[in-house]
Amino acid sequence: MFKNSRVYIFSILILILILLVSPIQGQKKTIIKYWLWLDDPTDPMFPDLVKQFNSQNPDIQVEYELIPLAQYYDKLVTAVGAGTAPDCARFKDWWLGAFVDAGALEPLDNYLKNWSGYKDVIANLWNTGKIHSKSPIYMMPHQFITFYLYYRKDWFKEKNLPPPTDLNKFLDAAKKLTDPSKNQYGFGLRGGAGGQDQWLAFIVAQGARLVDKNGKVIADSPEAILANQWYIDLYRVHKVAPPSAPTDAYAQILGAFQAGITAMMAHHVGSSVLVTQKLGEDKVGVVPMPSADPKKPATMMTMSGNVIFSGSKNKEAAFKFISWLTEKDQMDKWCRSRQGQLPVLKSVASMPYYKNNIFFKVSLDQAKYAIAWPPLPGVGYISAQLWQNLMQKALLGEITSKEMMEEIANALRKK
Amino acid sequence: MLLEKSNLIYKWEKRVFPFLLLLPALILILGIVAYPVFRAIWLSFHSYNPLKPFIVEYVGFDNYVKIFRDQLFITALKNSLIWTIGVVFFQFLGGLFGALILKQNFKGRSIVRGLSLIPWVTPSILIAIMWIWMLDGNYGIINDVLLKLGIISKYIPWLAQKNTALPSVMIADIWRGIPFFAVMLLAAMDAIPEELYEAAKIDGASSFKIFTNITWPLILPTVLITTMLRIIWTANHMDLILIMTDGGPGSSSLILPLMSYHIAYKQLNFGYASAIAILQGIFLIVIISFYLRLLRKGGSIY
Repeated sequence: MFKNSRVYIFSILILILILLVSPIQGQKKTIIKYWLWLDDPTDPMFPDLVKQFNSQNPDIQVEYELIPLAQYYDKLVTAVGAGTAPDCARFKDWWLGAFVDAGALEPLDNYLKNWSGYKDVIANLWNTGKIHSKSPIYMMPHQFITFYLYYRKDWFKEKNLPPPTDLNKFLDAAKKLTDPSKNQYGFGLRGGAGGQDQWLAFIVAQGARLVDKNGKVIADSPEAILANQWYIDLYRVHKVAPPSAPTDAYAQILGAFQAGITAMMAHHVGSSVLVTQKLGEDKVGVVPMPSADPKKPATMMTMSGNVIFSGSKNKEAAFKFISWLTEKDQMDKWCRSRQGQLPVLKSVASMPYYKNNIFFKVSLDQAKYAIAWPPLPGVGYISAQLWQNLMQKALLGEITSKEMMEEIANALRKK
Repeated sequence: MLLEKSNLIYKWEKRVFPFLLLLPALILILGIVAYPVFRAIWLSFHSYNPLKPFIVEYVGFDNYVKIFRDQLFITALKNSLIWTIGVVFFQFLGGLFGALILKQNFKGRSIVRGLSLIPWVTPSILIAIMWIWMLDGNYGIINDVLLKLGIISKYIPWLAQKNTALPSVMIADIWRGIPFFAVMLLAAMDAIPEELYEAAKIDGASSFKIFTNITWPLILPTVLITTMLRIIWTANHMDLILIMTDGGPGSSSLILPLMSYHIAYKQLNFGYASAIAILQGIFLIVIISFYLRLLRKGGSIY
C-alpha cells in the first residue's frame, strides 16, 4: 500500500512540475496579436494579406483572431478588463468614446507623423478617429460605408413614380407601393439588431442632429423628436413597412427586398452584389439618401478602422501592421474582396473600378456630407442594445418619440 | 495488516492521501464554481466597469435597492416565471406522451427512439436560426401552412409582436426539450418490472388505471428529479431568446439572465448585473428547496 502511494505522490509531483514549467521558448520575432471581424469569414483575402505581411517583415509575426461582429464588443470589453487585449484590432467608431474614456486606446498622432499615406486619406475621415475636433487620433480610418437607398426600378416604372430622391417622394412612393394583400410593402424598416445606422441616416436626412457643432447633446430637441416621429410613423401610421419590422435585422430586410416583398431598402455598398445578383441589375436602382431638403443632403456613415491598445508592448510593430493595411495595394485588395466597403484613400477611390460602379460611386459621393455617430462613451451602449429596445417599444406604441429621444440623449450625456 | 502499521502511516493513508488525490478536482471546482460565485457576490456590492478595472467603488446595498425600483426587473421577473413554468410544463407533458408512445412495441422502434433525440442534440444556435426562418413574418413556413389551413387570414410576424414573441420562443424551446424528458421517463418506465403489468391485466385493469396505479407512481421519482433539473436549466438558459429576439420587441421577451447580460456587457455595469444574477440565484434556491422537500415526500411514499 505504502509503496503504491509513493508512486502516486511521485506521479502527482511530476504532473505539478509539468504544469509549472510550461515550455518557454526563445522568441526572436516580435509577435503582434490582431483581432478582427469579417462580414464573410470564409473570405481568403485577409489570411493572404497576413501571409504577405509576415513574409515581407521577417522580424514581425502577425497572429490574428477572427471574431464574429455580434460577439466582438463583448470580447474586447472582457479582454481589456482582464488585461488580455491584443496589440491592435479592427474597431468601430461606435466604441471609441467608451474605450478612450477608459484610457484603453493609444493616441496615434506620433506614429502618423512619419506615415507616408497620411495625406492620401480623405481629409474629412480623420475625424472619425477622434473623440472631439481637438482630440488626438485614436483610430486609423480603414473602411467605411455610407447609407444610400435601393429601390425597385421596375416597380417605380410600372406605377410611373419618380426615383425617391427626397423624403416626400420617398413617402409617396412607399405608400403607393404598399399592398398588404399581396404581401408587398414600400420600405424595409429595420427595427431589430443593427437598425440604428439606418435610423440615424433618416434622422440626419431630415436635418436633425444628435449633437451640435460644439458637441452639445441635442438628441432630445424638438427637431430630433419630430424626425424620430416621422420614422416611427412609417410603421405605425402609414404602415409602409412589413409588420415584422420591429425585430427585422439585416437578414430579414435583405431577404424581403430580394424576395420582392419590399420596394425600397436603405443599406450600403456591402449588399450591392447580393441584391443585384438576385434581382438582376435592371431592376435595382440606387439613389443617395433622400433628404427633407434636397439642398441640405445628409446621411450617416460608419467607419471601421484600426486601433492600438495602450497595454500593448509592441506598439511600433503594431502600427507598422495597421498602417500597412491602410496602404494603397492592400486597401484596394480589401475593398474588392467580399467584404466590399469603401476605401478611405483618395488614390484608391479614384480608380476606375470604383468610379464606374454606381453603388461605389453613390456611396463615395456621399462621403462629403455623411455624418458619423458622435464619439461619446454612451454610443457603445446605444448601438449595442438601448436603441433597439427603445425603437421596438416606440414601434409597438409603448413609448412616445419624445420618451425615446430623451433616453437616447441621457445615454449620450452620461459620462 | 492494518494493526502492524504505525499510527502515522494509518493517518496518512486514511485521512490525508484521499484528499491529496481529490486535490486536482477540488482546485478545479473551487476555481470554476466557487470563485465566480464569490466574485459575483462581491461585484454586486460594488460599482464596476470592466473597461476601468482599477476604479472599483464600494456601494453597499445600492444595487439591490435599485432593483426594486426598476420596472424592467419586474417585467423580466414576470417573463422569467412564464418562460420557466410554461416551458418545463409543456416539455414534460410532451415528454411523457412521447415516452408512452416509444414504450409501445412497433416496427422500427429503436430507430425512432434514436431519431427522437435530434432536437435535444442540435446546437441551440442552429435551433434558433431554424425557428427564426420558420417563424418569419414575410415568408416563413409556419405562416404559409397556417394560412393554407385557413387558421390565420394573413401572415403574422410572430417574433415582432408583443403577445406572440415570448410564446414563439417558448415553442422552440419546448420542441428542443421534449426528447430529454421522453428519454429519461422512458428509461424509468423500462425499469418497471413486467410482472406488475401482467398482474394488473389479469385483474382486468384498464390502460388508464394501469398508468395511474403502476406507471405513474413508479416513475414519479424520475419525474421530480428531471423537472427540477429542467427548471434550473430553463431559468438560466437564455441562448434561444438571445438569438431569436434578444429580449424584444421592446422588453416583451426579456428574462432575468438576459437582462443581467445586457446590463453587464452592453451597459458595462457589472455590479448591477451581478446583483440581478444573485437575486435570481436566491429565487431559484428557494423554489428548488421547496421542490426538494416535495421530492423527499414523493420518494418516501413508495
